[in-house]
Amino acid sequence: MDEAKESVFEETKDDTGAKLGMWLFILSELILFGGMFILYATYRYKNPADFHHASKELDVILGTLNTIILLTSSLCIAASISAVRKGERKLSMYLLMATMALGLVFLVNKGFEWTTKIEHGIYPNSPALLARPKGEILFFGLYYIMTGLHGLHVLVGVCVFSVMLVLFVKDKLNQRRFIPLENSGLYWHLVDIIWIFLYPLFYLIT
Amino acid sequence: MASAERTEGVRPRISFYKDHGQYHGILSWILTKDHKRIGLLYLIFVIAFFFSGVVLGFFMRLEMVAPGGTIMGPQTYNSLFTLHGIIMIFLVVIPAIPTIFGNFFLPIQIGARDVAFPKINLLSWWLYVSGAIVVFFSVFTGQGPPDTGWTFYAPYSLRTTVNVPLAVFGVFILGMSSILTGINLVTTTHRLRAPGMTWKRLPLFVWGIYSTSWVQILATPVIGITMVLIILDRFFGVGIFDPAKGGDPILYQHMFWIYSHPATYIMILPAMGIVSDVVPVFARKKIFGYTAIALSGMAIAAVGSLVWGHHMFVSGQSDFADILFSLLTFLVAVPSAIKVFNWVATLHKGSIVIEPPLLFCLAFIFLFSIGGLTGLLQGALAPNLHLHDTYWIPGHFHYIIFGGMGFGLFAAFHYWFPKMFGRMYRRKIAIWAWVVMLIGFNIFYFSMLLLGWEGMPRRYFDYLPQFRTLHLTATFGSWILIAGLIIMFSNLFHGLFKGEKAEDNPWKGATLEWQIPSPPPTENFEKIPIIQHGPHDFKELEKNG
Amino acid sequence: MEKREEQTHSVKYSTYIFVWMGLLILTGLTYTVAVRIHPGGWAILVALAIAGTKSGLVLNYFMHLRSEKPLIFKVIIPLVMAVFLVFILLTFSDVAFRGGVR
Repeated sequence: MDEAKESVFEETKDDTGAKLGMWLFILSELILFGGMFILYATYRYKNPADFHHASKELDVILGTLNTIILLTSSLCIAASISAVRKGERKLSMYLLMATMALGLVFLVNKGFEWTTKIEHGIYPNSPALLARPKGEILFFGLYYIMTGLHGLHVLVGVCVFSVMLVLFVKDKLNQRRFIPLENSGLYWHLVDIIWIFLYPLFYLIT
Repeated sequence: MASAERTEGVRPRISFYKDHGQYHGILSWILTKDHKRIGLLYLIFVIAFFFSGVVLGFFMRLEMVAPGGTIMGPQTYNSLFTLHGIIMIFLVVIPAIPTIFGNFFLPIQIGARDVAFPKINLLSWWLYVSGAIVVFFSVFTGQGPPDTGWTFYAPYSLRTTVNVPLAVFGVFILGMSSILTGINLVTTTHRLRAPGMTWKRLPLFVWGIYSTSWVQILATPVIGITMVLIILDRFFGVGIFDPAKGGDPILYQHMFWIYSHPATYIMILPAMGIVSDVVPVFARKKIFGYTAIALSGMAIAAVGSLVWGHHMFVSGQSDFADILFSLLTFLVAVPSAIKVFNWVATLHKGSIVIEPPLLFCLAFIFLFSIGGLTGLLQGALAPNLHLHDTYWIPGHFHYIIFGGMGFGLFAAFHYWFPKMFGRMYRRKIAIWAWVVMLIGFNIFYFSMLLLGWEGMPRRYFDYLPQFRTLHLTATFGSWILIAGLIIMFSNLFHGLFKGEKAEDNPWKGATLEWQIPSPPPTENFEKIPIIQHGPHDFKELEKNG
Repeated sequence: MEKREEQTHSVKYSTYIFVWMGLLILTGLTYTVAVRIHPGGWAILVALAIAGTKSGLVLNYFMHLRSEKPLIFKVIIPLVMAVFLVFILLTFSDVAFRGGVR
């Protein structure tokens, strides 16, 4: 009797539906960043020289390194999901932890980049920045907002993964039920894709 | 298909009101995962916010009854119209039909037991309430409520000392609620249809909610990021929209309207869905052009996302953009007109049954058409030069939003009331309320159209003596309208507590919600039905008695 | 619908490694083109093309879009691209023509 009563409210076992929901959420996130890309495109179109000039002040090596780090983290989480599907629990957990570690390294690098800039007096509304041409003020404004928003998403991703680790430990994530990990992975790949575009648009303006 | 029914067994037959699940009392409501309870939670709050919006409007009209200060100063007036807009748009009109009736009826209409993500559904409601609380906080803290208009245009919104960040943060939270609802309902429609419920057999209300949900998912994030940018600019001086730092205020308008125009379709598509469901039932005839109605909704959602620049004809945007957006605006009228033609064609030679739901739909068709036609006028560039920022504009959008969406909402109230509450309201009083509202509405808002035509600017606290008479008329009309609203809601409340018990299918509808008890049991269906016909197969229904 | 249908084959590790190597190569390519080659006006198009290809790899292989069966999954990314394109093109119809069409 109680089983019948609870049946509506137990977890739906529709994995495709859960995935569809996640994809729709990803769609909304893409549009969220898309709004920022529209602003970027407009301001770059209007201030091509200033953007080029300001871009040179970013650390290309660090940016490229961060790109590689995120791409590798995407590899790790993808492999982690394959592993859990094959029943290789320990491997899956290690790969998951590797993903998280890489995500944290990414954030640390970003932290370095930001603090370096801030120490040089380049941050929103700083006197040094306001003295520069308008296009450069816009470039750095967009830089902080877009990499900041992206970094926030990386942080959230790492937190979600730590929840996944807990689920692993409690055996709520296993070969029979891995859709939360798969959905978290989808989210992480989204974060990776956004960076794939941020990297050339901020670091490689020639 | 969802396997939520793997456990065969006896479903509780008691109504969802009595089946309180694992919690008791108020917790069984605010922690519920039942889509019907969540729909009712939204209903309570939407109505409460609607009342507060009406009160604000009442005082606005009272102030405008005579030139100069009547009962308040200009700052207060600016805050009133700002709050009226924020509350009505973000707390009432955008959420109302999808969250109340989409939640309550979409799962039932497709033959499902609940939505795809019941816990996320509850989260949506909590976000809605949280967003509302934040908005209300902005009224009573700091330097007072925003005075920017609900549109928060930069650079004024970046500089005015009142509580803009709190208000836009509230809007941001409400946006999240909207996106999650959209995700939930799209997934539900794709994944939880009963066997035999093909896309072409879906009730048109479902199509309406489905197209709406796509707009919610695709457009809302843009206002999300825009509100964030206002907050970042106010706190960190980033300068994205600030001309002193190279920013372009017109870009703010682009970002704002990229969402806010499609938002008007989030408002109207569900109401159109209701009209498409109700008219056939009361004409005893299947809808004329099912496919056209279903696809025109998707077309409105698509083309409606291309026209936002028509809010910006005089903003300083390029002539080329002006022309392009004007052309696109004319295009979007086409799918709407198709719907109007098809509804009228459905009524033609039907066996008309005069009941309140149909009357509200007929009013919808009439008022929405006026609103739409006025929209064409202002969508043309030369007239827009004269009409922009005059009373013509609020005249236009109140015809569309209130006359359209509002009356569609009232139609839904009167149509689905017996199903949701198991009782019936008094028919005569409902019809009288409708008459009074229609009269008051037109006196009020037609005066606005005339005022705008004559050149009365909108959002102005004061005005020249030549506009006195029309303002007086408008205020008078607003009182009649409010009287009608009071009659209508009193009648519905009375029906809630003292109404006669309603039968399961008082209107002889053919969609699934009418084949289950009133009010429905928790899991909607004893057995998931197998669908063998479309939503307007009245003959089938009559055959089976 | 069967519960088991979603649990199709899991992707081989080697596939992922190959995709990852492809991504690294493309990263190196976009870096080299920008920093060493200086293609001038074409730069942004090349950069976006490479970024688009990388995203395509991530979407199709890491995110399994290639092997998802329901139609809706195939529609989602083209849909968001179309929406974004529309938003940006119409915005540019303003921004790029402020001084008049000429």
